[in-house]
Amino acid sequence: MRRNRGTRADRGAKRCRGGAGGERGPVRRRFPWLSYAVVAVGAAVMVVPFLDLLMSSLKGSGEYGRLPYRFLPEAFDLSNYRAAFQRLDLPLLFRNSTVATAVITGSTLLTSSLAGYALAKLRFPGRELIFRLVLATMMFPPFLFFIPHFLILVHWPLAGGNDLLGSGGAGLTVSLAALVMPFLVSGFGIFLMRQFIVAIPDDILEAARIDGAGEFTLWWRIVVPQTKPVALTLALLTVVNAWNEYIWALLVSTANPRLMTLPVGIQLLQSFLDPDRMVPVMMAGLVLSSVPVLLFFLLLQKHYLRGVMLSGLR
Amino acid sequence: MAAPGGPARTRPRSRQTAVAYLFLTPALLFFALFLLLPLLFALLLAQSRWAGFDLADIEPVGLANFTGLFAHGATFLTPVLTNTFLYALGTVVLATAGAVVVATCIDNLRCQGLWRTLYFLPVVTTVVAVGNVWKYMYEPGGLVNGVLNALGLGSVALLQNPGTALPSVVVVQAWASLGTAILILTAGLKAIPESYYEAAELDGARPFTVFRRITLPLLRPSLVFVSITQFIAGLQSFALIIVMTGDGGPGDATDVAALEMYRQAFTYGDWGGASAAAFALFVLILAITLVQLWLFRRKGSEV
Repeated sequence: MRRNRGTRADRGAKRCRGGAGGERGPVRRRFPWLSYAVVAVGAAVMVVPFLDLLMSSLKGSGEYGRLPYRFLPEAFDLSNYRAAFQRLDLPLLFRNSTVATAVITGSTLLTSSLAGYALAKLRFPGRELIFRLVLATMMFPPFLFFIPHFLILVHWPLAGGNDLLGSGGAGLTVSLAALVMPFLVSGFGIFLMRQFIVAIPDDILEAARIDGAGEFTLWWRIVVPQTKPVALTLALLTVVNAWNEYIWALLVSTANPRLMTLPVGIQLLQSFLDPDRMVPVMMAGLVLSSVPVLLFFLLLQKHYLRGVMLSGLR
Repeated sequence: MAAPGGPARTRPRSRQTAVAYLFLTPALLFFALFLLLPLLFALLLAQSRWAGFDLADIEPVGLANFTGLFAHGATFLTPVLTNTFLYALGTVVLATAGAVVVATCIDNLRCQGLWRTLYFLPVVTTVVAVGNVWKYMYEPGGLVNGVLNALGLGSVALLQNPGTALPSVVVVQAWASLGTAILILTAGLKAIPESYYEAAELDGARPFTVFRRITLPLLRPSLVFVSITQFIAGLQSFALIIVMTGDGGPGDATDVAALEMYRQAFTYGDWGGASAAAFALFVLILAITLVQLWLFRRKGSEV
C-alpha cells in the first residue's frame, strides 16, 4: 500500500543526534517551536493518564474520588498494593497469563514457520489454494468467533465430563487449554513468515538437499536461523496481544474461574461494593499487570514497531 | 513477490508433497476446527432457536432471527447500528486528524523515535487498564473534571450522561489508536521525495502551503489506508465499551453492534439472535471494506 521511493526513508532521525537541521528542508524548519509545542502537548495527553493511574494507586483510603480533584496523593501509600495481593489471587492470575502467553506465542511461531516454509519453498499440489485460504482467514473479524468457539469448547466431546455428543459436562473449559486454543495458529503469522522465507535463496536450500539433508533439517538449520528477526517481531506482536487479551479470557473464566487472567481478575474488582475504596486497589493491580508488558515493549520496541508496520502489509 | 518454490530436482515430487502437508497439518487442522467449523456452526445457530445446553435441542427457524433484527421496534438498526457508525466514524476522524498533525510535527524534531514511543504506549496496554483509567478520569472526582473545574466549568458525569457517554468513549478509542496511525503515516511521510520540498522552498512557499499542497496530497495513500483500517476496527470493537460502561449504558447510549451480539449471547442466552447479529455486522463490514477498497483503487491510480 505504501510506496517507498527510497528518497528520505533513511534520513529520519533514528537517534537523538542530528535532528531538525540536517535532515529536513529549510521550509519545514522555520517553525520548530510550533512543532515542539504541538508534539509536547500531545505527548502530555498520552502520558498523563498513565501517571494518573500510578497516582491513583498510591492514594490512601478515603482520598480517592474526593472533591476537588488532586493529582498527587497526600501520602504515597503502598497499602493498595498490599490490598491487591490480598483481594486478588495474583499468583494464579500471573501464572494463567504467563502460561497462556507462552503457549500461544510458542505455537504461533512454530506453526507459522513450518507452514510458511511449506508455502514458500516446497512444491506440492494445492499450494496456491492453501495460500489463498490462509489469506482468506484474515478476512474474518474476531467477534464472529466468540460464540461458536465458546460453544465448541464447552461441548467438546469426551472432555470435562461430556459424552460423545458433547453434552453433560464443562468440556474443555476445565483446563487451561480453553484459554489458548482459539489463538494457537495465526493466518497473519503464516503469511508473514512465508513472505520472508520466500526471500531465502533457493541455491542454499538446493545445495543442502544435494548433500542429503531432509526438509526438516533444512527448516531447522537454514530457515529458522535466517528468519530470526521476523520471528522475533512476530513473537513480540503475539506476546503483547496474548497478554492483553480480555474478551475471550472473560468468557472462559465465567465458565471456570480458575482460568482468570490478569485483566479479567482485576476487572472483577469492579463488582465489589465500595467502589471508592476498591478503585485504588484496582489501579494498583493494573500497574502491576501493565508493567511487565510495558517494559517488554520499551526494551524491544524497534522490533515491535516493525511488526506493526508489517501488519499493515496485509 | 518473487515466484516461490525452488526446483527440487534432488527429491521425488511425491516425497516433497508429503513433507509439505506434514508441515501444514497443524495449521490446516486448526483452521478446520477453529475457523471452518465455528463459521458453519454460527451460520446454523443464526437460523435456529436454542437456549444452550443440549445440542439436540437446536430448533431451526429459517431467517426469523435476521428479520427479527430489523423488525419494527427492534433496537438493532437504531440506536445500535447508529451508535456503531458514530463510534467508528468519530474514532477515525479524531485519530486520523490527530495523527496527521502529530506525525508531521514529529517529522521536524529531534528524538523522533522517543516521541513516537510515547504516543504508542496505549497500544501495548491492556484494554482493561486503558478503559478503567479513563473511566475514573471521567468521574466527577477525576482528572478530566478537575481540569474542567480549574477552567471554571462545572463537573459533568461524562459516562453517566446519555449525551456525553458515546463521545467520551470515542475519545478514548481514538487516544488508544493514535500510536498505530502515527507510525503508518510516518512511513508515508518518509516516502515523499525531498525534491518536492526543495522546489517549494525555491518558490518561497510558506510552511502551511507546503503542508496543504505537498504533504497532504502525497500522504493520501497512507491516509486512506489508516482510515480504512481504523474504521473497520471501530465497527468491530467493543472491549473498551464493556470495560468503560459495562452494558452499553446509560440506557443504550453506548451499545454497539458487537457488544449487542455479546450481550444477546452471554447475558440473555439468545444464541440464535446473537449469531444473526454477528453475521449481519460481518456482511456490513465486508461490504464497507469492498467499497472502500474499490474507491481506493480508483483514486489510488491518480496519485
